Amino acid sequence: MRFLQPFASALLLLAAGTAQAASSWGFDEGSVSVAAKKGSEAVREKINQKTPLSKPVELGSADALKVILTAKDNGKAKRPHQAFVVLKDQESGLEAPFLFTVKESGKAVAQISQKDIPVQLLLSTKPLKASVVIASFGSAQGLNTPVFDVSIKLDANAPPPSYEKPLRYGQKEEIRHTFKAGPQSPPKVISLFFVLAVLATVPALLVSWVLLGGNVDHLTKAIGAAPLSHASFFGSIVAMEFVFFLYYTSWNLFQVVPVIVVVGVVTVFSGTKALGEVQTRRLAGEL
Amino acid sequence: MQSLFSFCVLLFATLVSAISTTGDRLLVILDDVADKASYSKFLGDLESRGFNIAFETPKSETLSLFRLGERAYDHVLFLPCKSKGLGPNLTPNVLLQFINADGNILLTLSSGNATPSSLVSLLAELDIQLPIDRTGLVVDHFNYDAANAADLHDVLLLPPPGSVRPDVKDFFSAGTDASKEVLAFPRGVGVALGGGELLTPIVRAPRTAYSYNPKEQAEVVDEVFAAGEQLALVSAMQARNSARLTVVGSAEMLQDGWFDVEVKKVGGQAAKTFNREFAKRVSGWTFQEIGVLRVNWIEHHLNEAGASNESNPEIYRIKNDVTYTISLSEWSWSAWTAFKVPTNDLLQLEFSMLSPFHRLPLALDAAHSSPEAAAYTASFTVPDQHGIFNFKVNYKRPFLTNVEEKNTVSVRHMAHDEWPRSYAISGAWPWIAGIAATITGWLGFCALWMYSAPTDKKKESKKTQ
Repeated sequence: MRFLQPFASALLLLAAGTAQAASSWGFDEGSVSVAAKKGSEAVREKINQKTPLSKPVELGSADALKVILTAKDNGKAKRPHQAFVVLKDQESGLEAPFLFTVKESGKAVAQISQKDIPVQLLLSTKPLKASVVIASFGSAQGLNTPVFDVSIKLDANAPPPSYEKPLRYGQKEEIRHTFKAGPQSPPKVISLFFVLAVLATVPALLVSWVLLGGNVDHLTKAIGAAPLSHASFFGSIVAMEFVFFLYYTSWNLFQVVPVIVVVGVVTVFSGTKALGEVQTRRLAGEL
Repeated sequence: MQSLFSFCVLLFATLVSAISTTGDRLLVILDDVADKASYSKFLGDLESRGFNIAFETPKSETLSLFRLGERAYDHVLFLPCKSKGLGPNLTPNVLLQFINADGNILLTLSSGNATPSSLVSLLAELDIQLPIDRTGLVVDHFNYDAANAADLHDVLLLPPPGSVRPDVKDFFSAGTDASKEVLAFPRGVGVALGGGELLTPIVRAPRTAYSYNPKEQAEVVDEVFAAGEQLALVSAMQARNSARLTVVGSAEMLQDGWFDVEVKKVGGQAAKTFNREFAKRVSGWTFQEIGVLRVNWIEHHLNEAGASNESNPEIYRIKNDVTYTISLSEWSWSAWTAFKVPTNDLLQLEFSMLSPFHRLPLALDAAHSSPEAAAYTASFTVPDQHGIFNFKVNYKRPFLTNVEEKNTVSVRHMAHDEWPRSYAISGAWPWIAGIAATITGWLGFCALWMYSAPTDKKKESKKTQ
C-alpha cells in the first residue's frame, strides 16, 4: 500500500497538468510574519494560494509585516516580471501595490510597515485585503489571489494620521435660511384686562371731578358772552384730536401738517378771545 | 437696426462654427507630415465633422499658435514626436497661454518615443505626472490582446469606460452592446493625476496593470511608477476658463490599424475594438463639440399675490417671496439641446451675501423649456437680513463647461408703512386704550377749566379773607 502513494500523487499531478493546458503562475513556501522593530519574536503564519488566512494579521505602528514566498511557473521556481502584494481598502476599493524583491531563484520578499501605507488605507475601519499578484510575459497565466487580511493598529499615543479629502466638483449640501423668531404678543386675556383697567380710569377721573365739585354750569354763560370764540376754540381742540386720529388711521404727514396749521390758527385766534372771557370771569370772582 | 445686425452676426457665427462651439481651426503637430497617413481615419473623421486641419512639424519656422496676439488656431492635436524638445514655438509657456486663451489641446503619448520635455513641463504644470525618464510602458498580464500581444502583453484590452462618478454625465461609454466592445490601448504610457479638481480620468488602467521602464526594468520591476487604478490611461483637464486638455496615453489607439478591428481577449473571446467611436468622443469632447453649456437667460421676480410682476428688479424687501429661473442649453455635436441635469446631480441656486443664506435645488420648469433649452426654477423667501445679495448659480462639473452666473440685487428693510398696524397687535391694545383715555381726560379737563362754576362760596370767601 505504501509503495502506491508516490505513484498516486504523480498521477494526480499529471491529471492536474492535463486539466490546465496553459502553464500558470503560483507560489509556494509562502509565509507572512509580523515583527516588532526591535527584535522581538515574530508572529509567523503560513499562506497558500488556495485559501486565504481566516484571521486578519495585526500590524502595529512600529511593526514590520514581511511576506515571503517562492514564485513558481507551473511548479518550477522562476522569477516573474510582476510580483506585487496589493493592499485594498474594502470600503473605498482603493489599492496600494507593494513590490516583492524577487531573486533569480523565484524567492520573493516584501516588507510593509505602517509608514509605507497610504493614509487613506490606514484610516480604513475594516481590515485591508492583501492579495498576491504574480505574473509575467508569455503565455503563462498570472496569479491574482487574496491571501490574508491586515488589520491596522494605529499608535494610541500618537495623534491619528489626518487626511483631507480632495476637492471634487459636485453638488453641495442644501442650505435653508433659519429665520429669526417673530415678535410675540402676550395672551389676549391679559391685554384685554389691562385695556379695561386703563379705560376704567376715565370714569374714575370724571367721578372724582364731580365729587370735588366740578361742573359745567357756566357753559351757557360763556356761550352767551363769546359764542363764536368758545364754539370755535373748543371745536378746534376736538378737531385737532380728530386730525391726529386721521393721521393714525390713514393720512400721511403731508396731509396732516396743513390741516394742523389751519386748526392751530383757529385755536390761537379763538383761544385769545375765549380764554379772555374765562379770565374776566375769574377776575370777577366767579371761578 | 442693431438687433438685426447682431442677429446677422449670430447667424453667421453659427454657420461658420457648425461643429465646435469654439472654432474649427485645428493644428496637428507631428514629426513628419507623412506620418498622418497612419491616422487617416481619425483625421478624416475630424475633417468630415467640419474641422479645418493644418499640419506642422515642431521644427517648422512658420509655426506659431498666436498671430497678432490672437489665437491662430482653436485646437491643437499633438501626435508623438521623436525630438527631445519642441522648439521655441511650442514652449510650455506658449502652450499655457494657448489654454488661457481658450484653446483646446489633445495630447497623445507613446511609449515608443520619449515625451518631449516641453510637454512634460506643461503636464507637470497641470499636476499630471509622467513616468520617470519620460518613458514608460503600461502592461497588464491579465487583460491583454491575445491576438496581437500574446507575449509582450502591451496591448491592453479595456472595457469601454463608464461614468467616473454616479453623478457625472457619461460621455465616453459604449453604445448599445457594451459587453462585445473593447477598447484597445496599444503600447501606451500611463500618467498619474494630482489631487486637483480640474483633472478627471476618462480611462483608468485595470487593477492588475502597471507601468515600467522597458529599457531598465526588462527583467523584473523593482520600482513601480504607478499601478492599478492609480494609472490614468486617458485623462482630461478642464481649466477654469473651460479650455480643455486631454492626454491620450497611447497615440497608436487612434491609428487606422486599431479602428474597428477584431481582437482576442485572454479568455479567448473575440471582440471588436471601440477605438473609432472612442476617438470621436475624446476628440469631440476636447474640441468642445460635446459637454458645452450655455446660459440662455436668467429671470427673477416677486412671487407674491398682488405684487408687480416686474422682471429682474434690482431691489427686494426682506421676507419677500421670490422666483428665480435659469435657462440652459447644451451643445451636442451639431446642435443646442435642452440641458438635462444628470441623475444623482443637482443644479443649485445660492442666494448669498459673502456666504450663502440659501442653497436650493433648481427644478425643471417644463412650461419655459423647449427642445433647445431647459429652464430650471426655484422659489424661496428672501432671508430676514438686508444687504447686497447675489443670485448665484455655480455649476462646475467634470466634463461640462463651467457655469458661474451671478445676479446682484439689494435687499432692503421693511419700510415704516409695511409693518402690521398697531391695532392688529393684541399687545398694543392697552397702549391704544391709554391714548384714548388721555384724549378723553384732556377734553374733559378743557371743558372743566373753562365752564366750571364755583360751588362752594364759603370756601372761596375764606380764602379771600
